[in-house]
Amino acid sequence: MIERELTVSNRLGLHARATAKLVQLLSAYRSTTTLTAKGREVNAKSIMGVMLLAAGQGTQVKLRVEGEDEDATAEAVCALFERRFDEDS
Amino acid sequence: MSVGILLITHEGIGSAILAVATRLLRTLPLRTEVLEVPFEGDPDALLPLASAALRRVDGGQGVLVLTDLYGATPSNLAAKVARLGTPVRRVSALSLPMLLRVMNYAEEDLDELPMVAGAGARNGVIVDEA
Repeated sequence: MIERELTVSNRLGLHARATAKLVQLLSAYRSTTTLTAKGREVNAKSIMGVMLLAAGQGTQVKLRVEGEDEDATAEAVCALFERRFDEDS
Repeated sequence: MSVGILLITHEGIGSAILAVATRLLRTLPLRTEVLEVPFEGDPDALLPLASAALRRVDGGQGVLVLTDLYGATPSNLAAKVARLGTPVRRVSALSLPMLLRVMNYAEEDLDELPMVAGAGARNGVIVDEA
């Protein structure tokens, strides 16, 4: 299992488009992936799940990945967060 | 092969929901069309249009028809197109969370998708007391 601390740094936070992008990215991977923020853990492959976090800019989230392709999954998610979901450009 | 999606709704509902879903997901994994029923629309007169839309989205695996309000004219029209021969399953209370969840489970077959749609709509209701 891999755990990473991430920060939501794009201006709009984990809004619908960013969430859809995350979920679509994860659909290519097999690992079980969750995000935890504000004491709530959600399935990172579910749009409504991630939207439930209502995570605005600056929110700390914990990524947890478990499965055969967990390294690649964690790397892809971290890269997406670091790229600010390709927003703010 | 995958299931086709047909939204049969009141005026302004289906096209707006489809437009937002398309903006959020960029490309929809399932072939999707909208048929909006005008307030003065006659379901019998609209049946050929609905039938044509149904055939366009059907890739051979059947069509999931989503309507906005159970018992209203659009959903009565959906009941009629379900009897034309193409395998059809119908779910009412179309919402953005419902459509997004269906698209997120695009590989499911026609027998599974009604439950996926229903869960999407139910999970989308959050009584926000935070």
